[in-house]
Amino acid sequence: MNPTEQLIRRKFQEYYLTFRKEFYLPPHPEEREYGFLLFKEKFMVRHRAFRDPSVLLGAIRDLVPAHIYFSTAYYQEPTAAMEEKGWKGADLVFDIDADHLDTPCKPSHDRWKCKGCGTVGNGGAPKICPKCKNDRMEEQTWLCEQCLRQAKEETTKLLEILYSDLGVEPSDLRVFFSGHRGYHVHVYSTQLQVMGEEERREIASYVLGQALDPQLHELDEVNVGGVRVIEGPQLGQPGWRGRMVAGIYDVLGEEGDRLGLSPAQVRTITTQDRDEFFKRPFWSSVKGFGLSTWKTLSVKAVDRRSAKIDTVVTTDVHRLIRLPGTLNGHTGLLTTRVPRERLDEFDPFRDSLAFHGEMRVRVKDSPRFQLAEREFGPYLNEEVELPSYAAMLLLCKRRAEPVG
Amino acid sequence: MLTRADLAKYPFLSEAAEYVRELGLSIDELSAPEFGLVLDRAERRLEEALSKGRVSGDVSNESAEILSFPVSNLILSLVGEERARRRFALAESKRAYGLLRQEDPEKLEYIASTTFAWKVKRLDVKLGRRFYDFALSLPDFLRNSVHLREPRWNLPNRVLDHGFVYVTRDEAARLMEEEVRTKILERSGRSPDEVPKLLGSVVERAKGLVIKWLGVPTKYELPKVPLPEAMPPCVRHIIDSLDEGKNVQHMGRFTLASFLLNIGTGEEDVVKLFKPATDFSERMTRYQVEHIGGKRGGRTKYTCPMCTTLKTHGVCFKPDEICETIRNPLSYYKAKSRTLTNEGPKREPN
Repeated sequence: MNPTEQLIRRKFQEYYLTFRKEFYLPPHPEEREYGFLLFKEKFMVRHRAFRDPSVLLGAIRDLVPAHIYFSTAYYQEPTAAMEEKGWKGADLVFDIDADHLDTPCKPSHDRWKCKGCGTVGNGGAPKICPKCKNDRMEEQTWLCEQCLRQAKEETTKLLEILYSDLGVEPSDLRVFFSGHRGYHVHVYSTQLQVMGEEERREIASYVLGQALDPQLHELDEVNVGGVRVIEGPQLGQPGWRGRMVAGIYDVLGEEGDRLGLSPAQVRTITTQDRDEFFKRPFWSSVKGFGLSTWKTLSVKAVDRRSAKIDTVVTTDVHRLIRLPGTLNGHTGLLTTRVPRERLDEFDPFRDSLAFHGEMRVRVKDSPRFQLAEREFGPYLNEEVELPSYAAMLLLCKRRAEPVG
Repeated sequence: MLTRADLAKYPFLSEAAEYVRELGLSIDELSAPEFGLVLDRAERRLEEALSKGRVSGDVSNESAEILSFPVSNLILSLVGEERARRRFALAESKRAYGLLRQEDPEKLEYIASTTFAWKVKRLDVKLGRRFYDFALSLPDFLRNSVHLREPRWNLPNRVLDHGFVYVTRDEAARLMEEEVRTKILERSGRSPDEVPKLLGSVVERAKGLVIKWLGVPTKYELPKVPLPEAMPPCVRHIIDSLDEGKNVQHMGRFTLASFLLNIGTGEEDVVKLFKPATDFSERMTRYQVEHIGGKRGGRTKYTCPMCTTLKTHGVCFKPDEICETIRNPLSYYKAKSRTLTNEGPKREPN
């Protein structure tokens, strides 16, 4: 462990030693597998089980892990080897992470470096290095307001799909801030927990609107008394049909000019109330729009309304996922439960802080950031006295080092 | 709700099983002359399935029709031939679909919610030009739809409303066909403790039928020496990438190692392939290869991941025509090496 890791670990230890609250535990905590990623050599302790939250806290105090996970799956024998655990079912989980979002602010705060040839760049790392075609990248990311706001928006879209399409009961659903760049949604449903990977893949696909074919939703050209008319889904219809139509209005209003609409046409759409617009047989109402244009529009509309989840997490029935109430080693922030009805007001930069007091650190470089409604930075090669939560963020992000 | 004629049409129903149970027949009694018809029909069911892939809808003798179905299943389980079980399950389920699609919604709903325990609601909804009779609970829908490949069965192309998927009458019948198929596969897969004496000759005859219609069950042996030309595009791509010194992600490495070990490549040869990797460590690679081969750790021998998984993780590469017919890279290899070496039976008759 280097001095930075030693310091982070010591602060984590203090936090867990003085921790007095009860951990949030998922249903059937005793049937879950727990995993701890240690600071030392990034070693993973897995296949642990706990019947009692206080024993779990004891283990956390002993090990002081950088990251703490539990399995979304329920097992007969959570401590057995993977193939002998006896899988009973798994919660349906969704992960929305800024890593998977294409936010415009990324070039301003994220950087990458090719491990092969040392080429560097701003923004999200490309799949392969443009210079040497290597695909091993070192990424330096930052958690930014805009990225997290986007992640929250995706979460809001996801919740709407889960409630009205999948019929998830609000009481069966929990939302968590991951403590880093996104949100996790857990669904506890006895009906859904027995589903296998293939079924979950379909659900992930549905939430993303993947390969949705508007024609299979009955967008088509039909012959009505010798006249060719375009018919399609209507506003208010269940599932993707109504959602697609609602999205079309937004796409038309915002991208109409790029789609070849005249400014006057765009205005006729945007000045009308959405419901008014859709009361008319709108599929045939825009001059020059044929079936293929409407199809393209529909696919765009679906993409806007879809929730950008990480498919791998939803499909994996043995996934280990961050335990709420624990520290995220990437930031020193807490994985925090967000009351569903207060997702809107939730401020990850205010509501997930763990550390109090002040700390002196040497900052290598840091962009401007906000925590607890206070502005910090930018810093470059300077020693500063900071509130501990801000210092810990910089330490965890390896943007700062201990002093002395 | 159901008549005896219904049980004859749908001998997989819970009520049909109940009817058989109530007769309290033992297998030995099947030798009695009055049950000759039952045994005959049971054998004919099998032969129809094996020869034509269809089981006829002859319901002239209702009681023989009902009783023959479990007997066919029993014979199949004694024959113990996977190919025959699959073919029979498919043929019987196709017959069920043909009959179910003609039923009125009340009967469909009844069968779905009793025998298959579906959570299903009656609907009376017209969306666009289509009429939906039912809304089926999401897990019940998915359990069956994931076997079906047409785009219309993909969830994003369905109407999903508060946990229920809208389905037409015909679609409900089609999903029930899947239930029937699964049910028969499960039943005919149970192995009975001993071969009842009476059935000995019947089973022998059934084995003969299987060979007659499906060919000799020569287990096609993979070539002793791995055939590089028979490897699927994804695996060849991984090997090429390693050769060129490019980095290959974890999933790609796992796919390559598990694939090669499963087609009989020696561990040493697998380890060698990873040598060009920039981060190659002989000790680690050997350990991991042995782990995948089942010699270390959990002692499970890993099989190669399915194509769907490889697609999700971006390992799938330029799929070709053979790829369209398979779901696992190993099946690709099996199919292609078979044509390359010109060995083994041709495809099963359809």
